[in-house]
Amino acid sequence: MMSSIKEDQKKAFQDLLMPQLGALYRTALRMTRRREDAEDLVQETIMKAYAAFDRFEPGTNFRAWIFKILTNTFINDYYRVRDREKHSSLEEMVEDVNFQPQFEGFTPEEMLLNTLTREDVLRAIESLPLEFRSVVILTLVEGFSYKETAEILDIPIGTVMSRLHRGRKILQKLLWEYSHKNKSTRSKVENGL
Amino acid sequence: MDCKEAVEKLYLYLDGEMLTEEERRSLEEHLGLCRACCQRYEFEKFLWDLVRQNGQRESVPQTLIMRIENVLAHF
Repeated sequence: MMSSIKEDQKKAFQDLLMPQLGALYRTALRMTRRREDAEDLVQETIMKAYAAFDRFEPGTNFRAWIFKILTNTFINDYYRVRDREKHSSLEEMVEDVNFQPQFEGFTPEEMLLNTLTREDVLRAIESLPLEFRSVVILTLVEGFSYKETAEILDIPIGTVMSRLHRGRKILQKLLWEYSHKNKSTRSKVENGL
Repeated sequence: MDCKEAVEKLYLYLDGEMLTEEERRSLEEHLGLCRACCQRYEFEKFLWDLVRQNGQRESVPQTLIMRIENVLAHF
């Protein structure tokens, strides 16, 4: 009898977990920036989630619940002092972000499509300081609502909105720079330089 | 709705957040009439779609799948 309850619980956990595995892994990867760490983080998250699964209320938001465990585990166990130090200058830069692209006369395709690569986009996301990166990943990449993001990160919804706004500005600036750099590299190649 | 208000509401609109039905309609009406705001909307939509699509394109390594299966088997 006990074993059947345990098996049912395990199956319920597995059924909820497996559709989220891809999103958990890519979020872990963007957070840790290292494949080995991302795998460890996902595994640790799953073990913690299963240990706490009896406290999960069936029918509530499993996705947000397990992402909260992932982000907490990352902040407590993986976000090392060196990462914080590395980002201090970027955080200062955030204060100066007053970037505004020109929209007149360009189509988005002309500006970005032909030059930006997937690596550029990922590099830009991973360059963001953690507080902006986590909000950008959860809302813009994973599609969590502002309210869900606030609950996952345990911060007020107004903070989600302001971090998202700044995160967008920095990302836009970085992508703009990468696209210009790519364009200039491409024209040098085309001109045989 | 004027351009200032439209730009302020643009991210909420793109993110599917917190706009009333009336605000949404009013913004869409403005975007239909104002070329500059419409271009801004198209640019922003394009950019954040690009970020989302590239951010989501990542497959789970086989090594991780095996690790998870192993963990689940021991629960």
